[in-house]
Amino acid sequence: MNLSDLILQAVINGILIGGFYAVMMLGFSVIWGVMGVINLAHGEFLMVGAYLTWVLNRQYGIDPFIALIVVLPAMFLLGYIFQRILINRIIERPFLIALLVTYGLSVAMASTVKLIYKADPRVTDTALTGFWNLSDGVGIPATKFYILIAALIMMAGLYLFLQYTRLGKSIRAAAQNKEAARMVGIEIGQVYAITFAICIALTGAAGALISPTTSIFPFMGPVLTLKAFAITAMAGLGNIPGALMGGIILGLVENLIATLVPGVGSNLGITSSFILLVVVLVTRPQGLFGGLKPAEAR
Amino acid sequence: MATLTLTWQRLHLGRWGLLFVVLLLVAVPLPQFFAPERNLVTDSLLFSLTQMFILITLASNWNLTGGLTGYVDFGHAVFFGVGAYGTGILMGQPGWEPWPEALTLWSFWPAMLVGGIVAAVFAVLLGSATLRLKGPYFSIAMLGTFVAMRELVRVVRPLTGGGLGMTLPPYLNRPLFYYLTLTLAGLVVALMWWIRRTEFGSTLIAIREDEVGAEMRGINTTLHKITAFWIAAFLSGLVGGIWAYQNAYIDPDVVFLPNRTVDMVMMTMLGGLGTVAGPVIGAATIYWLRDVVWSNLLLFHQIAEGILLIIIVLGAPEGIMGVLGDRSATSLPRLWRKWFPSTSSESEQPA
Amino acid sequence: MKRGIKVFTIMALLALVFSLLPGQTLAQEVTCDSEVVVQADDWLSKIAEKFYGDVLAFPAIAQATNAVAADDESYTTIENVDLIEVGWKLCVPSTADAEAMLNRSIGAAMAEVEFDGIIRIGAAVSETGSLAQAGEDTREGYDLWVDFVNHEYGGIQVGDQRYGVEIIYYDDESDADTAANLVERLISEDQVQFMFGPYSSGLTMSTSAVAEQHNIIFIEGNGSSETLFERGFQNLFATLTPASFYTRSAMDLFAASGVQTVAIAYEDEPFSASVLAGTQIWAEELGMEVLAVETYPRGATVAEIDPIVTKLKALNADVFVGGGHLNDGIAFVRSAKSLEYCPQAMVLTAGPNFPEFAEELGADAENVLGPTQWEATMGWVGAYLGTPGEYDRRYQAMFNSVPTYQSAESTAVGLALHAAIEAAGSMETDAVRQALRDLDIVTFYGPINFDDTGKNVAKPMASGQIQDGVFTVVAPSDAAVADFKFEPLSWCDG
Repeated sequence: MNLSDLILQAVINGILIGGFYAVMMLGFSVIWGVMGVINLAHGEFLMVGAYLTWVLNRQYGIDPFIALIVVLPAMFLLGYIFQRILINRIIERPFLIALLVTYGLSVAMASTVKLIYKADPRVTDTALTGFWNLSDGVGIPATKFYILIAALIMMAGLYLFLQYTRLGKSIRAAAQNKEAARMVGIEIGQVYAITFAICIALTGAAGALISPTTSIFPFMGPVLTLKAFAITAMAGLGNIPGALMGGIILGLVENLIATLVPGVGSNLGITSSFILLVVVLVTRPQGLFGGLKPAEAR
Repeated sequence: MATLTLTWQRLHLGRWGLLFVVLLLVAVPLPQFFAPERNLVTDSLLFSLTQMFILITLASNWNLTGGLTGYVDFGHAVFFGVGAYGTGILMGQPGWEPWPEALTLWSFWPAMLVGGIVAAVFAVLLGSATLRLKGPYFSIAMLGTFVAMRELVRVVRPLTGGGLGMTLPPYLNRPLFYYLTLTLAGLVVALMWWIRRTEFGSTLIAIREDEVGAEMRGINTTLHKITAFWIAAFLSGLVGGIWAYQNAYIDPDVVFLPNRTVDMVMMTMLGGLGTVAGPVIGAATIYWLRDVVWSNLLLFHQIAEGILLIIIVLGAPEGIMGVLGDRSATSLPRLWRKWFPSTSSESEQPA
Repeated sequence: MKRGIKVFTIMALLALVFSLLPGQTLAQEVTCDSEVVVQADDWLSKIAEKFYGDVLAFPAIAQATNAVAADDESYTTIENVDLIEVGWKLCVPSTADAEAMLNRSIGAAMAEVEFDGIIRIGAAVSETGSLAQAGEDTREGYDLWVDFVNHEYGGIQVGDQRYGVEIIYYDDESDADTAANLVERLISEDQVQFMFGPYSSGLTMSTSAVAEQHNIIFIEGNGSSETLFERGFQNLFATLTPASFYTRSAMDLFAASGVQTVAIAYEDEPFSASVLAGTQIWAEELGMEVLAVETYPRGATVAEIDPIVTKLKALNADVFVGGGHLNDGIAFVRSAKSLEYCPQAMVLTAGPNFPEFAEELGADAENVLGPTQWEATMGWVGAYLGTPGEYDRRYQAMFNSVPTYQSAESTAVGLALHAAIEAAGSMETDAVRQALRDLDIVTFYGPINFDDTGKNVAKPMASGQIQDGVFTVVAPSDAAVADFKFEPLSWCDG
């Protein structure tokens, strides 16, 4: 493999993980955009989805991709319950409150999972494995390709839902202007609950998708939450196409730097993703692509 | 006696000032009762208190930008880290050839000071970019900076030792660290109190309440924000240096600990955002909770802490000081309304 | 404001309630089942023996006495449990109360042995936090030794006296600051005579520094990073093989098989860095070329590991040596499989020796190599606890789980102290320290012989390979149970 092959493989890896990143952070981004809540427990919900998948995989032999059928509704229900019990109380409150409450939630969730399942890392098995050789060692890893496909399908589904269904439009209306939405008869409370539930379902599904490719453990959440921040900053709140672009940009940046820089590449990869976050925030805080909310005047 | 009372009243020290002085009078001579055999004041107690003073200092520093100026910094621990590494590098001998001889093997005091200065300079540079952001964007930018800095330190291996970390010359003198941190904590609290009473302080509060309005009145908000920012950074950098020396070992993960920022925020919120006594009370309370209460809940204490945080934040966002009627506690709904005027609604809590 | 007050009152009450719960660090309401006036020739463990039939229950008496002494002056506050005087009035709590105080049941001990005293040892281990799993193994290792000494061996022989042992534990929460604080407390307040170490090089780093500054002997079995031993400490002793030796036997195997190039990748933290620094030394010694040395951050996921695997694939070195902890070990295998990275052999420094590795990865784990400090199948024969097999049986009977090498090396810590005290015939720090320096024994865990910096240089690090789903020791030859299989990884063609 020569340099151009290396770059090509890095690009492939970057796009594949970028697609996953997009579906991973969408839940976070939409919750923020619609409800104004910054969910620091985002990574933990993903972790729960991953564990659920693991249980289904180990005990019942269900392939993670098929397990989505169970994981999506289960996480939807979980999200709905959490919203009613907890999140409801922090909507429309100062953002610091949401940050702290969801942080507390993340700690509680991670510790609880650890109590039940211990801290040992887990992984799931899928039948969709393989490597499609393109040329001279460069190729496409099959599992991650299917993850990308699944991610795209889910994102498309969400997009269509928000654009064309009545409920979806209500959600978008509530995000733009709560008062006006109320005035036209939209029941905000219900909208919030459904939104949160959908987002958690999506996040849990992302957990299911990642489970065959990496190790699952109770404390895997925070890194993913931070990356969700980074991509949301780039993409704009609740912006789905933006999320895809942002995810892929992050994936490409990380992979290219990590692959091409010898020695400390991977460390630099993570550093660069956060430097990218800061730079984007400072230069274009409304995101590179605009979002659900119009840009705030400063 | 009369003059004392008069001065007291003129300085508006009030009952909290009295408490503060009383605590100082108790704390200062404490190590004199140092007698491990009698199980009275032991090394362990001094060490515990030292850690508590460190927490108090950090919480108060954070309060300067977060509570007083209204810029909720979710990555403040980065200055602690910069200070720690600054001190560590100057006291040690980095294996990086271009590093000048003159900047190695320093003794502790100058190293600590320079560590703080480096943190302050870093704050000025960083703040000129990030302080232009408002609300949650500022918070996230600082969080990103924190993570980026941690990994950056790891990457610059020849200078910092990378993931292997650096050792500092070990020096056990619990009373020294006790007094050092006590002095620093006392100074910081006094500084906060003093700032509140100067025009600088009022301007910061004005920025917090209505930045646009302040700017229109001709106040140089940028200058004020950056000043508060670097002061807090300098002090946190000093604390970082002290901590590094006491621990005798630093590495990216133990220094750039995300929990440090969370602790600062949680303690200040518990005590009362924007007040002088708030961070002190919050830090002391949480420290006591951890030391005394949690030790009985071994398996569940992390869960308990998470839940406790939720309860505090939902139940009493003005903190203890707010509950006790301190009017200077900032009102979070006011902060919120300033940033997102279009989303305020009738469900907010009144100040 | 009113609601705020309500919230705080409730929380304050809750906190008060919790602080009154029975716990080892706080006083509580105590009623005295009996009162005892100390006679000549009495000591606390003798009194405990008399009332409970358990010599090791004496701390309950001390605790109860001190609790009531706070209110009732006729009782004396006991400050040193080894020193009570004639005429002192002691409070003996009921068996139930005593059991609550000690957090265990009483009377389980053999009442026949009367100890002349108790040796107090302190240990801060991780009960909670990210290191909890291994922390638990560590504690169980220590406990097994305590049980052995007190109930079977009859107490450590010091001159013509026999001493029981007691370990005071605190939870360091996998946090360095907490660990240092707790060690400080163990030494200054609980006045322990010796310290046993925590799990992980990171925590050992700060805790050993505290012990060193107080001149307390600190024996550990779970921190192998070389930097621990480069500080010139006099009181630090480690029973495990130091990190730089981890991959030695695997590299020997490779050299013997004609391997010429090596690719290295590791998690950027002290332990792994030490291991892989050692690997580079062995590579040079054995004439192999290191093609790349890559690092990745802690808590790395597939996103960080894929680029490394891609790079290594491009380099096409003969073998891969690397790793960090079990998490990234598993992630590495998955990543290598998904990108079809096929080195001729793969060594992961923390992974294959854990049962979870083969369990989770299934067929993917086949043929992967990993170092191990100790396996129950090895052939050592020790004076105190016999063979690894016997240790395994004893451990399973006591804890109902299989011992890991973390447990074994922790028990070895106890044995090292045990042997040293008996050799020195004394519990004085200087005498014991010298005895530790001079120690040269073989235990179920392997040989123990410390060098001047405290490293155990006599004990070789073994290498094992997953063969048919089982981790099998293949090197060095005197510990091997099977031959090394130089075969492709499960997802690679032959």
